[in-house]
Amino acid sequence: MSESASANAPKPSSSVKLVLLGEAAVGKSSLVLRFVNNDFQENKEPTIGAAFLTQKCTLPTRTIKFEIWDTAGQERFASLAPMYYRNAQAALVVYDVTKPSSLTKAKHWVAELQRQASPGIVIALVGNKLDLTNDGGDATGASSAPQAESESAGQDEAEAGEEAEEQLPASGDARKVSTREASTYAEEEGLLFFETSAKIGTNVVEVFTAIANAIPESSLKTGRGAGGAGQTALGSRSGEDSRVNLGDRGAATAKEGCAC
Amino acid sequence: MISLSSFVQKASSLIDPANFNIPSLSSNDNNPSKASLFRQQFRLPDSQNPLQEITAELILPLPTSSSDSADGARRVDRPGNRYTGRLHLSERFICFSTQPTSFIPSSTLSASTSWTGQTHGTGPSGNGFTLPLSSIRRVERLHSARDVFSLALTTWNGLLNKQQEPNFAPQRLILQLVGSRQACERFCDCLKKGLREGMKEVDNLRSVVTDCYSEYLLSGAKAKDANDGEGRQPPDAGLGMLFRYPGDARKLRDRSKMRLWGEYFRENGRNSTLVRQPTFHKLIRVGLPNRLRGEIWELTAGSMFLRIRSPKLYEETLTKFDGQESLAIDEIEKDLNRSLPEYPGFQSEEGIGRLRRVLTAYSWTNAEVGYCQAMNIVVAALLIYMSEAQAFFLLSVLCDRLLPGYYSTTMYGTLLDQKVFESLVEKTMPVLWEHLAKFDVQLSVVSLPWFLSLYINSMPLVFAFRVLDVFFLEGPKVLFQVGLAILRINGEELLDIQDDGSFISVLKSYFSRLDESAHPRSENPKLRAITRFQELMVVAFKEFSGITHSTITEQREKHKDAVLNNIESFAKRTSIRNLGPESKRLSVDDLGTIYDRFYETLYQWQQHQQVAEEERIRQEKKKSERQSVLGPPVDRQVGRVGLGPSPTHMDYDAFREFLAATSKWAVSDSPAPARKESSSSGYGSLRGNGKSLLWANRRQPADHEFMQRLYRKWATDPEEGLSLQNVVNGLARLKGAPDIMNNINYFFTLYDDSGNGQVDREGILKMSEALLFLSRRGFEGTITATQSLEDLNSPRGSEQAEQNRLTTDEKFLGSVSAFIRRCFEYADPSHPDNQKAAFSDSTTEVTEKLDSFAIGDDEEDLIDVNDDEEPKASSAAVSSPHPTESSQQGRPRSESANPALDPNNPLHITLPTFRMVVLADELLEQFFESYFPQSFHLSDHPHPASLAASSSLSSNLTTFSNIGHARSSASVVAGAPVAGASGGIVPPGKGLRGVLDNIVTDGIRMAAEVKKRMDDAQRELERNALGGRDEEDDEDEDDDYPSRQGASAAAMAGGISSWGAGAYGADPERRSVREADRDLLEGAEAEVISIRAPKEEAASQSKHRAKSPASAHDPEIVSEVVEFES
Repeated sequence: MSESASANAPKPSSSVKLVLLGEAAVGKSSLVLRFVNNDFQENKEPTIGAAFLTQKCTLPTRTIKFEIWDTAGQERFASLAPMYYRNAQAALVVYDVTKPSSLTKAKHWVAELQRQASPGIVIALVGNKLDLTNDGGDATGASSAPQAESESAGQDEAEAGEEAEEQLPASGDARKVSTREASTYAEEEGLLFFETSAKIGTNVVEVFTAIANAIPESSLKTGRGAGGAGQTALGSRSGEDSRVNLGDRGAATAKEGCAC
Repeated sequence: MISLSSFVQKASSLIDPANFNIPSLSSNDNNPSKASLFRQQFRLPDSQNPLQEITAELILPLPTSSSDSADGARRVDRPGNRYTGRLHLSERFICFSTQPTSFIPSSTLSASTSWTGQTHGTGPSGNGFTLPLSSIRRVERLHSARDVFSLALTTWNGLLNKQQEPNFAPQRLILQLVGSRQACERFCDCLKKGLREGMKEVDNLRSVVTDCYSEYLLSGAKAKDANDGEGRQPPDAGLGMLFRYPGDARKLRDRSKMRLWGEYFRENGRNSTLVRQPTFHKLIRVGLPNRLRGEIWELTAGSMFLRIRSPKLYEETLTKFDGQESLAIDEIEKDLNRSLPEYPGFQSEEGIGRLRRVLTAYSWTNAEVGYCQAMNIVVAALLIYMSEAQAFFLLSVLCDRLLPGYYSTTMYGTLLDQKVFESLVEKTMPVLWEHLAKFDVQLSVVSLPWFLSLYINSMPLVFAFRVLDVFFLEGPKVLFQVGLAILRINGEELLDIQDDGSFISVLKSYFSRLDESAHPRSENPKLRAITRFQELMVVAFKEFSGITHSTITEQREKHKDAVLNNIESFAKRTSIRNLGPESKRLSVDDLGTIYDRFYETLYQWQQHQQVAEEERIRQEKKKSERQSVLGPPVDRQVGRVGLGPSPTHMDYDAFREFLAATSKWAVSDSPAPARKESSSSGYGSLRGNGKSLLWANRRQPADHEFMQRLYRKWATDPEEGLSLQNVVNGLARLKGAPDIMNNINYFFTLYDDSGNGQVDREGILKMSEALLFLSRRGFEGTITATQSLEDLNSPRGSEQAEQNRLTTDEKFLGSVSAFIRRCFEYADPSHPDNQKAAFSDSTTEVTEKLDSFAIGDDEEDLIDVNDDEEPKASSAAVSSPHPTESSQQGRPRSESANPALDPNNPLHITLPTFRMVVLADELLEQFFESYFPQSFHLSDHPHPASLAASSSLSSNLTTFSNIGHARSSASVVAGAPVAGASGGIVPPGKGLRGVLDNIVTDGIRMAAEVKKRMDDAQRELERNALGGRDEEDDEDEDDDYPSRQGASAAAMAGGISSWGAGAYGADPERRSVREADRDLLEGAEAEVISIRAPKEEAASQSKHRAKSPASAHDPEIVSEVVEFES
């Protein structure tokens, strides 16, 4: 993919509409804030409807301008979501690695996107709050008591239940969703998969870079030039490349880095 | 409800139908009722209704307080102003407005909806007043000229305070009523009554009024002068008193605004006794002074009236729910630290505590809304200017009336208003609209937060509050006007943008520069002084003055269905996707059908019950007031998933309705059962559409023990009811895997009450009753083995089909008789002594083993059974895997059947026995294989798996049964009576109709008689059983099918045979058959007729009764009005 458009003089720049979805308080806005401003705030105003931000991501062959729609996570805002994921070329479905119910919700979103969003949409599954787990490193503030697993993943998919139990609640490790469980699911569904920490910045840029790389060339709106470009681009996009094959996905592909 | 809608029709010739607001839940037309228009106009609580109205002239006397600073402008509306308008009286309020509106029942709808004032009916418009009757101290009839009927109202204005104000004169309003003497007297009588009631509320009024800043302003100002100071703490006017109000008070000219308001209050009354004159509206448009802002908001929005009604509600709610937890509270907690965090008050525990308490209290009073993000921002803003209690009541008015559906669980109000806004933009700014469309910029994603948080986090706070000032007075249209003005002012720049990002940034930069001059380069200093915000207000209210409340209402009506449909399809999608693995056994279409039917039933049932409940209440006491002053408006709409939180569980009665829509057998036999309400199928079909009419026309559900069993089986908790998940799982069990063993097992477990794998004698009879119940409407072709498609197409097809079906039916009756007989034959005696435990244990074991065995590979055994056609052998075959146990317990017992068949001896059958008995009979086998699961009609398209499986059963089954499917589901859609339309059953002609009725009646009676004749049957069976062990006899039974109806009748207990014949007796084709039972049949026919006639009478009576409370109300009013106007 990267070799295809190698030596064209100025890097082509294109914008990509990206939408963030996920349960409330999993850290959607924080991920965006980390990506856009490399910043972290404890008390962000809740997102009303959706927040809009942009950030550029420079790849070796092209520049991608992300137009990020960061949606509200409260359950009732879900009915507004179709408004935001309309025509999105990429989606970040976020869950909280310390909260199994958030993965269940994330799976619902994935299913919704696969059925309702633009056909070629690139979806990344992101487990946030890695800092609260042991492998996440320093942060020990596992203060947020994980909610009772009342409707834990178990009821959703068979594999979810067993995997959740294999966790050993090591001291200070608030992790409740194993990496394997989520990555298996992501693999089955053909999603990009990352575990991140918006607080300490782990893997955040990598997520967006991987998405940028995964966006098929053909679905990019090139520039904002002539009138009506948007519409025609949209029209042509829907037909071809209805599924993106993400063979060599994962953190490894994120090497190119994102010059933000 | 049915009767009401039909009554509406009749009544509409007498009165305007729109006025017919009493069955508000059932009214199909979405026109708001006049009562609700009345409440909107004066912002009254939901308990208020327009009782009386009369044209009147309001005469405001010269203020006696000689204010020396009277300039010319104010003089205009001061001395002895006279206003002509309409005086309205409700239970607890007297309202006057110069707007020529009328809300009484006899008025036309246009008289109620034509607004010309600033607020267009969404708030206190025009000049006048809205006085709680409790605030009136005295009413005098003035002696004046002969024809003039004058009243002088003296209010409590200023008298509820202990301190006497200087230069105080009681407020006295003079009203000259214009109308006939009789009308005036009538009005006065009603007023008198209201005043007496109102007196009880004076204490409430006092407690609220003394908290008002206006009182403090008028009295406290003097106290400060006199320097006996400190005597009175200023009332709580929000966090602003502690943390400063936003904005620069000097720049906002707060002081002079305060003076103007003080002046206005002195002359026109304050808080609950305020009289609106033109200055009032002007004072609001220029922005309210900080300390009065909360009070005026509360007054104009009408939440003060709620507070007067129950002043302690806020504290009581907090106390009542103290310490309790809820989802809403968790959600609130997450947002407390992030609500207007830039305002110092919300960086402190004080402010956050207030916010927490108000949001929590509201989430308790309106659990349906609970908490929605954005409410935190709105409430935080309110709390800067008002006390907690004030904010609590104002929030309630906001959520329930000003922003209906905005914060509901589906947020349909928000989405709807976005659609409305978009369509207004399209209309008023077509060029911009096209530009946005061209670049695929979605306006609503930008404007949604404007509406949802009332511009509070879009504009700088000072300006957002200015918008709010007008919003609370003039209503939701203000949000639209301001939104349109924003786009109009930025129109040129917006025409350059090409994506969401630049669109947003243009507006962002505009909002940040609202305080700058709108015309910075202008020569004219006056023009230069106009800020962008002022410009915005001018554009909003001048240029878009055409956007009125009725514009909004109209547009909302137009887009409502589309928006709700979107939400619903989203909800449905999500819901079905989350049903879990069990649901995967059904097709998506089936799940969709279940989902739709589930909620349709739930809503209709709920609605139906609500109407019934209202009816009941109305009968108990004529004017019952609502328990709580808060909560959703009484006349709001319900009944759609998209509108908000849905009921989630259906009780048994609703489940019956659900089944009736799913399965033919669940439809009651008598069209109008005496149960509960009356149904009149005639009206509905005449009047066509509307859900309530469908309800009127609906199938009356049967009530059979089998359905109760099904309900109990499906429900996780029968008390709570059935959830969608329960229903889906239940149906998935039945329809998901088309496997006869599965179905037989399932049926058996329905009757296995003790859960020990045994069904006793009673249970066996109930099973047979259920079999008859399920089959009494024919088999929809699933069982007739000789039916072919040509029969249907040929002219005589239907007749032939009928014959065929009848034959099958008759055969089936025989099968059921045989079933009973065999069950008893092979039943095991239950041992009352201690053996029983051990026995049942081992039986369970057997059952379990057999179960696992059966699921594994029962084909062989099946073949055995069929080949042998000999129950005994099959019994051996089935039990062969466990030879020891079955030979010990099964066979010997059935051989020593004599004691077992004695009715005094308890006996039971086990699953293997049951299975054997079923499989021994071709029809029963087919029944469980195909008819039983297929009788639950879901979508038109069967699951591919089940289709494949069922088509493998018998060759002709697919075609015929599918015809049945399609047709019966069509009938479901059309809401037509099911009995006629389904496959295999002849459409209801006059003669045939009777046949069907009789079949049905007799079938039921037959089942009922099973019990009565039990002993007879038992003896008969005993005899048969004795002989039945001979193989020949059994073969006889099984081979003899075609000639069975006679033969088996002879073999069977007399009772059973006569039911069989009687069932078809009325069929003209079969006179010979019924000859023997003619007398019985005629008796039955007579019975049916005699039963039906009184039923219909009862139905029409009850219909009449159902109508009467509603009708009693209105004609009364009508007649009054007639007198009134004569």
